[in-house]
Amino acid sequence: MQFRLKQRSVLPGFNLALGYTLLYMGLIVLIPLSAAFIKTTDLSWTEFWAIVTTPRVLASYQLTFGASFIAAMINTSAGLIIAWVLVRYSFPGKRLVDAMVDLPFALPTAVAGIALTALYAGNGWIGGVLALIGIKIAFTPLGVIVALVFISMPFVIRTVQPVLEDLEAEVEEAAACLGATRWQTFRWIIFPALRPALLTGFTLAFARCIGEYGSVIFIAGNLPMVSEITPLLIVTKLEQYDYRGATAIAVVMLVISFMLLLLINLLQWWSRRRHAA
Amino acid sequence: MMATISPIERAVSEPPRIRRLLIGLALVFLTLFLFLPLAAVFYEALRKGLGVYFAAIVDPDALAAIRLTLLCAVIAVPLNLVFGIAAAWAVAKFEFHGKSVLITLIDLPFAVSPVIAGLIYVLLFGAQGWLGPWLAAHDIKILFAVPGIVLATVFVTFPFIARELIPLMQEQGIQEEEAALVLGASGWQTFWRITLPNIKWGLLYGVVLCTARAMGEFGAVSVVSGHIRGATNTLPLQVEILYNEYQFAAAFAVASLLTVLALVMLAVKSLIEWQARQTRRAALAMKGEF
Amino acid sequence: MSIAIRALSKRFGPFTALDNIDLDIQAGELVALLGPSGCGKTTLLRIIAGLENADAGQIQFNGEETAHRPVRERKVGFVFQHYALFQHMTVFENVAFGLRVRPRARRPGEAQIRAKVEELLGLIQLDWLADRYPSQLSGGQRQRIALARALAVEPQVLLLDEPFGALDTKVRKELRRWLRRLHDELHMTSVFVTHDQEEALEVADRIVVMNCGQIEQIGSPQEVYDAPATPFVYQFLGHINLFHGRAHSGWVRLGELRVQTPEYQNAESASATAYVRPHDIDLLREPEDGDTTIAAIVSRVHILGSLVRLELRQQADDELAEVEMTRDRYAADPLQVGDVVFAKPRQLRVFLNDGHSPELPVWLGDGDGI
Repeated sequence: MQFRLKQRSVLPGFNLALGYTLLYMGLIVLIPLSAAFIKTTDLSWTEFWAIVTTPRVLASYQLTFGASFIAAMINTSAGLIIAWVLVRYSFPGKRLVDAMVDLPFALPTAVAGIALTALYAGNGWIGGVLALIGIKIAFTPLGVIVALVFISMPFVIRTVQPVLEDLEAEVEEAAACLGATRWQTFRWIIFPALRPALLTGFTLAFARCIGEYGSVIFIAGNLPMVSEITPLLIVTKLEQYDYRGATAIAVVMLVISFMLLLLINLLQWWSRRRHAA
Repeated sequence: MMATISPIERAVSEPPRIRRLLIGLALVFLTLFLFLPLAAVFYEALRKGLGVYFAAIVDPDALAAIRLTLLCAVIAVPLNLVFGIAAAWAVAKFEFHGKSVLITLIDLPFAVSPVIAGLIYVLLFGAQGWLGPWLAAHDIKILFAVPGIVLATVFVTFPFIARELIPLMQEQGIQEEEAALVLGASGWQTFWRITLPNIKWGLLYGVVLCTARAMGEFGAVSVVSGHIRGATNTLPLQVEILYNEYQFAAAFAVASLLTVLALVMLAVKSLIEWQARQTRRAALAMKGEF
Repeated sequence: MSIAIRALSKRFGPFTALDNIDLDIQAGELVALLGPSGCGKTTLLRIIAGLENADAGQIQFNGEETAHRPVRERKVGFVFQHYALFQHMTVFENVAFGLRVRPRARRPGEAQIRAKVEELLGLIQLDWLADRYPSQLSGGQRQRIALARALAVEPQVLLLDEPFGALDTKVRKELRRWLRRLHDELHMTSVFVTHDQEEALEVADRIVVMNCGQIEQIGSPQEVYDAPATPFVYQFLGHINLFHGRAHSGWVRLGELRVQTPEYQNAESASATAYVRPHDIDLLREPEDGDTTIAAIVSRVHILGSLVRLELRQQADDELAEVEMTRDRYAADPLQVGDVVFAKPRQLRVFLNDGHSPELPVWLGDGDGI
């Protein structure tokens, strides 16, 4: 890759700024990340494949990706409603709610983990109520979903909100003049306009959920094969000084994360292009 | 409150029934997943009384954790601040080949699980890592020591400020900088007097986000810290240790410190957004007059 | 369909958008609502469409009260200033939308929808754009698509909000002639809002001039231009020269000029203003008897294609006045800057400054000008 100016600019500092950016990024991000990939070359392909497909690892993928998908879906539906309510309606305390939506970004994940556990455990405020009807959340896969819903909550709301704010009222009025009911207007006019933002928000939330560690380990119970997420498995292997095993699983996660990152970039490029007109 | 709605208002809004239902759904969801967990932190922290609460906070290990957490933030935030400005300057003010690749690379740490962020530093600096033997020979400790914790924190907070500044500076373009240069300002003068004042709110916002994450990071720091009490424990790790030792009230007391910090960050963020909106509104009003 | 508007009022907080409006629009008529921005014309249009509520008053379609008919049941076609096309749908889908959202019982079949949309796209001469997206079209094309979309639901009224406001001058001229022709073909009751007097004069059957939430005058383009009912209409439509003076027992003195105004028989030294169009002034080389001319010096001459516009400086008070004449007329006696002339208004209109206005303009006879 060659970073070369397309056209000369009168502004100074391009070489300095770009040079520093690349140097710093190389030292902090690229060289350490490449360490993970190079470390896996210690393993032969069969060894690698054997490590990343043991039943315990497969069960952890299933839980991590399944719970992440469900949490991201829950947040997509709830996020659409919350963004809609925050943009379109007024109610007491709206500005406070709007500000608090970012709490999961600001609150350390460990704090979120213990707070959710206290709340959803059998003796907690919510867990206690649910226990009466026989539902257990903390220390089960459901607990993983609850933690993931919390930490990825703001993504969809914050991607949908600006799009909803920028929607022209005229377009909805036009639909009404043409005889559309409110539901038809939403289904055929508003929703398609929000779709790229919803998709981007979903993918961001999903990507965040896959890597999440801090909040989940408190509430999950961490039973192998049942409620053990992949990042925890990596930590476990590290603690047993199984660096090769940890790295192999990490590389699988990294590849998936990079593909998601690529997907997010494509989605944003796609929606920008559609809105460019 | 929305009883007298005419059929006309219904044309471009929803019937009051639906509105109330949606507001209700949103608030119930936020209560279950946001407000109650927040309340639970303070409830659990104060459950055993103020004495236990303060004892947990002035515990020497807790104080050491506070010091280390602050130290991490004080090192990581300025490093990423300089990087963020340099990256945003290059990306937003110039057209060059490979720009979109660079932007994607800047986002990379967001896509990496915190656990993996810790892991890669273990692979680099650990006893069996690339630099491990050399570091051991020279008696330099990085892993399971403060430098490792700082490095992991720098990694996970790497994109925050750059991400905030790039779109902002792209939007502002280069006209003002060009004007300053034409008027005879030097490159540094242009940066300090023109660019920096224009991006100050975005910059501050990025710093706030970066600080919040730097102080709250758990996964990456947990992997590289070694959990040595009073030496390599940050506040979030202290929370975990206390919790695992069933000292719930103490764990929540330390957690409440971090929560207050998060709430302060949110307040600062709201203030910055409000301030930015005011500036923009004033600018629009000026435009309207001419 | 005819529209009857009775005692309609609308306020936005402290701002009165519409103040007791009465207006009748005949079936098949093309009416322009003309006025400066903020005069309430768009609000009136939106209330007719059902996009906005009136605070008081009624709107009847064919004599039938509409207050409780929501917008989607009113069968109005509304064309928005910024088109409001659905960006994610093709031109075809945009035009078909109104038919597709009908209740199943009244929804035409797919073949019928296709035929109808193609017919409409043919009518607006854009059938070759059916598969494009709105972002791929020019402003003029978008506006025509918006019109086709509105017509697809076979509305009883067509409402257009500044339909050509966002287009450049040349396209605007083409489109308004096209709209006029379209209306002559379809004969649909149509109301359009504009702040451009030229547009209203050229396109409309009748013009409703509005200001500050009130109707100033309703009439044919010729009526409102030739016989403005109020000082506002005078000033809003076309250029104008103002002369200030006093009215006293049937006469008005405006500097050197003295004009008989029988309608102000009872006025006693009342402050008055006379309005004269630039093309209603003759320029004489010699003064006339009887205080019918104003002495002035030519201060500028602009030759504007077929017209010549002269700027005069009145000798008495240094006030400026504008005179327009045809190129031919100017050629007969080409006045130069610095020439002394005597301006004789052929037609002027005097309004007392207390707001009272006479029914008819004052004709001053056919003065033989230069």
